[in-house]
Amino acid sequence: MLDELRQTCRRLLQDGAVQAVIGYGRASPDDPAVPVFISKPEDVDQLVWDDRCFANLTKYLSRKEVLSLGKLAICVKGCDERALLVLEKESQIDRSQITVIGLACDGVGQPRLAKCESCDVHMPRRADIVVGKATVPDADAGAKRYAEIEEFLKRTPQDRMAYWKKELSRCVKCYACRQVCPMCYCRQCIVDKNRPVSISTSATLKGNLAWQITRAFHLAGRCVGCDECTRACPAGIDLRLLNLSLAKAAEENFGYRPGMDPDAEPIIGAYSQQDHEEFIR
Amino acid sequence: MSELLAKKDIVRLVDQWLAAGRRVAGPQCVNAGDPHRQTDLINYTWLTKVEELQLDGFVRPTNTIKEVVFPRHEKLYGYEFKGKRIELVPAELPTAEQIVVGARPCDAAALHILDAVFNWDFKDEFYNRRRELTTIVTLACSKHDDFCFCTSVGAGPCDKRGSDVLLIPLDGDRYEVRCLTEKGQKLMAGATTTSSETAKEPEGPPTRFTLDALGEFLAAGYDRPEWPAVTRRCLGCGACAYTCPTCHCFDIVDEGGASGGARVRNWDACQFTMFTAHASGHNPRSDQSQRQRQRIHHKFQIYPDKFGELLCTGCGNCSRNCPVDMGVLPVLKTIAAKS
Repeated sequence: MLDELRQTCRRLLQDGAVQAVIGYGRASPDDPAVPVFISKPEDVDQLVWDDRCFANLTKYLSRKEVLSLGKLAICVKGCDERALLVLEKESQIDRSQITVIGLACDGVGQPRLAKCESCDVHMPRRADIVVGKATVPDADAGAKRYAEIEEFLKRTPQDRMAYWKKELSRCVKCYACRQVCPMCYCRQCIVDKNRPVSISTSATLKGNLAWQITRAFHLAGRCVGCDECTRACPAGIDLRLLNLSLAKAAEENFGYRPGMDPDAEPIIGAYSQQDHEEFIR
Repeated sequence: MSELLAKKDIVRLVDQWLAAGRRVAGPQCVNAGDPHRQTDLINYTWLTKVEELQLDGFVRPTNTIKEVVFPRHEKLYGYEFKGKRIELVPAELPTAEQIVVGARPCDAAALHILDAVFNWDFKDEFYNRRRELTTIVTLACSKHDDFCFCTSVGAGPCDKRGSDVLLIPLDGDRYEVRCLTEKGQKLMAGATTTSSETAKEPEGPPTRFTLDALGEFLAAGYDRPEWPAVTRRCLGCGACAYTCPTCHCFDIVDEGGASGGARVRNWDACQFTMFTAHASGHNPRSDQSQRQRQRIHHKFQIYPDKFGELLCTGCGNCSRNCPVDMGVLPVLKTIAAKS
């Protein structure tokens, strides 16, 4: 599969179809896989693909340091690919200008990340080229996807608030959650607005609650559940739980899963006569 | 001859300190018992009971001890609107004695390095007061990982800088105690036993790059063409700076309402776009590679030129905590190889 990936990328670069490939690479076999940007056909041997390729590379489609490389090809896992559809729906990318290389994936991490346990997109579905073959997801994989939040919601509201206060008190506001998130593409984030200040920049419990609640709401119906924020957080805050809660609400109330159905309109950006909230009709 | 202390006696000492009402910080597993976490998260935290203290079994905590002298959020003074007047209300200086136990040498050395900048043209009384009130008991590292590079930056697992007491593991149950300052002697008085046994200083990680090669690269010019390529994957968050024991940049903001508020300082990080954004909209460091270059130059050229010491202790936290496994180490290795 790795040979196939490298050959595909070599061909794309040689033919001039793209000027750079965003993929995974590593300096030595023991190193973690890191994002790499390959511009020369002879460098494709730097590319790797295995279950230590965590990063959701679609984030780089909003980084000017990468866009400056020219026309791009990008490697995506099934979960990451969902972000591309949301970005396209939100007019952030011109899908026709990007070559998407889908990577068949049976999950990442040892043990597997939580998101992989209930993954139902082992094979990217809308990629231009798909490399490799993956196992078919368990029939009940999807049914398990809200198991953690359902379990969490069994706790009392007081208990849950105590949990979040304890967790969020560790937040240092490094904004790694925001910087890794493909959906956080705002030119100026609301926390960076200082005339006037909307969200306190202090890493106090109050300021942290304000930041994380605001961020969660901005991701409602948009987060594709790649869990990069959870992986990136140096304070070990399980942001996945917040995201799952919003994903569950979006699916239950609107039958919508971000990045799954190209024909479905984004719930935040669409108006429907069938909306069950009266005030909007 | 040496002074020894059994592990159980450290536990007893910490218990006594806590009982005496002293603030004691040390490494603690902060997510023990959390069903949602897959790995242990070890952080320096203020201990509420001695059982929380975890001295070994990990390389180093995810955060650093700079927080005990330079908190992430600190009130500088308050202000109140009194009709057309504004009244300033001084912030109270800290008074509580505090002890850090089980600090890693790469953390303690950082405070020694920071003393210079907090006492340069302006003497920072908040920092200095906390520093005076703090006694640091360091534990020499018996473990290191692929991110550790203390030995490449003139530090090491027994670095004495910044420590008041250095503990070196003798065997599984005992430590050799080296009191390095008066504060340390006072803290350990009567607690240790004299012995003829001495601990072997543990070895650090292998050298990852040479400072000479790094210095050559940095001295050879500011606008080296290598920067964009070696830093392209940086996503511009502050995980490196906020988990760095030596990064000390802060932002000063006013927080308050119609009747008054406070002027506070909050940690800031040079990798943020906003860090250098001018009011005019111009940004002299508009590209991530310029911000990365600044970070490396500051740590390995500007700070040493000004204060005589590198602004890095090789703890590896910047790389360990980087979402894309960057931090300074891969950059330093690459540019040192190119000099």
